[in-house]
Amino acid sequence: MKRFALTGICFLLLAALMAGSTYAASINTSTGWNMPPGVTDVSREVYSLHMTIFWICVAISVVVFGAMFWSLFAYRKSKGAKSAHFHENTTVEVIWTAIPLVILIVMAVPATATLKKMYDTSNAEIDILVTGYQWRWRYEYLGEDVSFFSNMSTPRDQIQGLEEKGDNYLVEVDEPMVVPLGKKVRILLTANDVIHAWWVPDLAVKKDAIPGFINESWFLVNEPGIYRGQCAELCGRDHGFMPIEVKAVPQEEYDAWLASRRDAAVAEAAGADREWTMDELMERGAGVYNTYCAACHQPEGQGLPPVFPALAGVGMSVDPEQRAEHIAMVAYGKTGTAMPAFGDTLSPAEVASVITYERNAWGNDTGDMVQPSEIRDLLGK
Amino acid sequence: MLDVIKSVLAAFFGVQSEANRQRDFQAASPWMFIVVGIALAAVFVLIVAGVAWLAAQ
Repeated sequence: MKRFALTGICFLLLAALMAGSTYAASINTSTGWNMPPGVTDVSREVYSLHMTIFWICVAISVVVFGAMFWSLFAYRKSKGAKSAHFHENTTVEVIWTAIPLVILIVMAVPATATLKKMYDTSNAEIDILVTGYQWRWRYEYLGEDVSFFSNMSTPRDQIQGLEEKGDNYLVEVDEPMVVPLGKKVRILLTANDVIHAWWVPDLAVKKDAIPGFINESWFLVNEPGIYRGQCAELCGRDHGFMPIEVKAVPQEEYDAWLASRRDAAVAEAAGADREWTMDELMERGAGVYNTYCAACHQPEGQGLPPVFPALAGVGMSVDPEQRAEHIAMVAYGKTGTAMPAFGDTLSPAEVASVITYERNAWGNDTGDMVQPSEIRDLLGK
Repeated sequence: MLDVIKSVLAAFFGVQSEANRQRDFQAASPWMFIVVGIALAAVFVLIVAGVAWLAAQ
């Protein structure tokens, strides 16, 4: 009678487990409980490997814990069970060493085959250099003369809880990486300051971006859509605010996008050819400041002393004598600190307008204007 | 010599019987085990490298 009860319990447990896992498998993509199957051939292979190994683990757990609970129950003290005392049993030891060895090899063979595919970056049709910055990504389409920063576009008010959070909270950017469908895209990863990691789960790409090194990875997207990811290596205070957005579009749309990026770059460079008014500089400068400077120096210029100095009311940004030092600081950065050389990465118009903004915002009243042409001549761009 | 190789392989695997352990500890010097152990470790590395090379083809 007791035997039947035990068998019944075991079957019930097993049935509950199976039902639960089937349920979990069917809804995992909508709940985010499981990793996504993704949208590339490699990502689907990774997903099926993950599920295979998951089921191997489930089977092992059922056998191991089943044996354990059965032993606990069937040989309990109240039934007068006596423990056996023996020191060794070579046969048993060989079996419990050999079985895991075989299981590991069975898992390693398909995993190695998939890894080989993931590492094969040959014959890519498009090369994109991805550079991690504190705290944004830069995408350079090699041989296409297209290069731009991709900044998080989630409004500050959503982060501070003043506004309802959007659907793509913290995983939306101003300029996504755009790639054509059906083309093998190779990405070359590096970083400008500290170690970052470029992670897009739907593409099954997660790779460190390390200063001074170039890591390679690749993906080929077959389904149009927007695929989102994040930096996956703790890289400083705004690590959680440098998302990744990859937009996969048909070839014609990709070509049109490339052309529009080139036109925008030409227009941006042409901005240095004319005189800007104070209002123009202040408006542009506010946008640049909030995107590139506010993370450290804070939206109201109050800074985060002692690490990130204040700009409002103190220092070179309010000193009429230090206009040149201020320009040099923004253009060339400060060695040994987190202050980067923005002259290398931003346009003359962006650098000039943000310096003008810093010298005239939040009660700073130097009245100084910095023209884009001045920055262009200084940097020799 | 064959016993030494078997014992070293058993050590690689992680399982050895008490009888063999008693026999091995009768040996006059440990040098045989050390030399055979290093040699077989080198062979193991070559096998792993060979498998990796084959997998990369």
